[in-house]
Amino acid sequence: MVRRWLTKLGITAYLGALLFGLIAHGANYHEGAHPSMYFIVWDMFCGWAAYENRTHIVGQGESGKFYELAPGPWGDYHPYGDISRQHYDSFNAYPHVMAMNTLKHTQHEPMTRLYVVEECWAKKYNLPEHVWKRRYSEPKLPFSYYRLRTEMTGDGKVIRSASPWLGFQTNLTIADNPRLMADISRGQPMFAIQPTSSTIPSPETIDAAQDPASSIPSPLGN
Amino acid sequence: MNASSMNSENTTRLGLRDRVHEFFFAEETPFGLALLRIAISIACLLVTVPRWIYTRELYSLDGAPAPLADSYGFFDLLPIPSGSVAVALMTLLTFACFTACIGWCTRLSMVIAAVLYTYLNLLDSLSTMTKYSVITSHVLFLLSVSQCGAVWSVDSWLRRRRLGLPRPRSLADFPKFAAWPRRLTQILIGVVYFGASLTKMHTPAYFSGDQLLHWMMTNVNNANPIGEWMTLFPQMLVLFAYIGIVWEVLFLFLSWSGWGRLCMLSLGVLFHFMTTLTLGLYLFPITCIAIYFSFLNSDDVVHLAARWRRFQRGTGKAWSIRFAAVSAWPRAAWPSFDALLPSGRRLSPTLSVGFFGLVAMGVTVGAVEIEYRLDPYGTRRSDGPYALRELDPDRVKQMFAGDQKLREYDKYLAFDLGTDMFGGMVTSQKETFRHGETIIAQCTLSPPHEDMWVECNLHDANNVLLDRVGQVVVRSQLRGNFAYRACEALSPGGYFLVLKTGGQEITRRKIQIVEGACQAMAN
Repeated sequence: MVRRWLTKLGITAYLGALLFGLIAHGANYHEGAHPSMYFIVWDMFCGWAAYENRTHIVGQGESGKFYELAPGPWGDYHPYGDISRQHYDSFNAYPHVMAMNTLKHTQHEPMTRLYVVEECWAKKYNLPEHVWKRRYSEPKLPFSYYRLRTEMTGDGKVIRSASPWLGFQTNLTIADNPRLMADISRGQPMFAIQPTSSTIPSPETIDAAQDPASSIPSPLGN
Repeated sequence: MNASSMNSENTTRLGLRDRVHEFFFAEETPFGLALLRIAISIACLLVTVPRWIYTRELYSLDGAPAPLADSYGFFDLLPIPSGSVAVALMTLLTFACFTACIGWCTRLSMVIAAVLYTYLNLLDSLSTMTKYSVITSHVLFLLSVSQCGAVWSVDSWLRRRRLGLPRPRSLADFPKFAAWPRRLTQILIGVVYFGASLTKMHTPAYFSGDQLLHWMMTNVNNANPIGEWMTLFPQMLVLFAYIGIVWEVLFLFLSWSGWGRLCMLSLGVLFHFMTTLTLGLYLFPITCIAIYFSFLNSDDVVHLAARWRRFQRGTGKAWSIRFAAVSAWPRAAWPSFDALLPSGRRLSPTLSVGFFGLVAMGVTVGAVEIEYRLDPYGTRRSDGPYALRELDPDRVKQMFAGDQKLREYDKYLAFDLGTDMFGGMVTSQKETFRHGETIIAQCTLSPPHEDMWVECNLHDANNVLLDRVGQVVVRSQLRGNFAYRACEALSPGGYFLVLKTGGQEITRRKIQIVEGACQAMAN
């Protein structure tokens, strides 16, 4: 009897959790409140971008030479297809961890700076040649854009960071409006008191003035 | 309210309660869950075996773990194991998946697999934790509280042997349990699809086909050559997008029995198969299709078994002979496996678990030793640790060249010509038009772009400008459509439609105009 009662309680709790996930997702309510929400919110393929991006983690030695820090020299790991793991870090959250792991297990000169550079190109350049020829009348001439996302000290401390390339470009398109920019310059925020004075200052932002917001890159759906 | 109406209401309420009770607690033989157990274990092995050698790097303090909880601001939520412990856990997980697959100490195997699979996934949000792994965690958890090892398993064989039971000949010979774990698995997949449909409803670009179009242009999941080819027909994607979302919404409500179940599951298999071909997804379809086994009930198995026997008796004889080489193999191996347990000896459940523990320990310790000797980082090589790879100075110069504005050509995605439209996209694409036909020229842009002035100009064969037409495409729009009337003022012959943005020519298409009826030229 107790077992049957516990079973019913378990069924109700499980169905309740699934239902809460649906409601939270449908109403955008506390979707990111806790890691457990990842287990009940079904937001596969929620984003997309017209540009492919890659993450380059590089180190600059005392000699001025630059070194590749991801993937490590012992071998590359491809979670899906032929793309390395660091390229799946959509939020630029773990490059310092990967860089320090590579430095820990390799021989190298002392590092003065570590950098994270984002490379982006239009996804249309991914199309194979035979598809390209049917779609476009001009030859395929791929072009990549680069953007310095993070600068770190040799021991992995972040000293400067910037918004994603896509967010930066989006902001440029918004800034391409003289009336809007004039309004913005007239209405610069002003605080008689400093509301964030009790918080630790965040690392310097490379382009804070021109990046009021940044779009979040699309997470993986696989 | 009179007595009869109260009585009637009471009966209805009881009826509903009985139906819910019947739904969750009807006794059945867990054939579907046994198949799900086998399939999902294989799906897990497809993840764990190739990643085993990278365990130290992905899941340990001796590597570069990326805990999911960090992304939510919950730092240090879970302990991160040392390198050797992570390898031991990954090995134990792989072993548990294998034993769950064959059904040896099934409950214990499932519990180990559910806990370790979820735990290790949580330590690598970059390359391991995805939605298919979350679905797998749910399924492993549900199977661990089910009786999925009661049939088609080593456990059931040991049980029969211990109790001296004959091989089951009919459905009545198999054990029966409450259906609720299977029901929860069915509801799970229905909820997953329903949740996915909510995501799509939140994404306007899904309905315009733009989202699918761009997913098909990337190999971020895996190579998808058919998807790349399908980008030539974007209007089809709009149709598929609507079919997909209707199916996802209906699945939870129609997949329970009869034709609804057949249609929903068939569409599901087709849908997931297409995601493999067009998006390069592999493990997600395998996981979801494996869950479809939970829709198999005892009656289905009896029905399928009867059909199989009929097939064997009839047209299947020839196939049976060809298949004999494969089907005879386990029968041939069985005596030697049977000999592991001498006649008369009975392996008790306790002894089975003890033996399981010994083997698990042996495999785990052996794997840790092997991984140590393989030295994944190469730190114990005779030459010492690896040296870092130096980057080409030209490449470095490229990387640090600074930010650039988008080129006009990169804002342009497609320039299509046709005479008809479907789902906001040009269909019946062609380059030859008859007099009187309307030429629809559609310029598709990639986001982000500013408010743009887009021109679609008509030039003659000598590149002389005949007509200049432009329109503003605001930043929230991705398409600009231009309509030309191919009238008799345009003598038959070759022309160019030239697309210009930002004062630059982006692309041009050659068209042919051939004789036909004439109407006034219009835009």
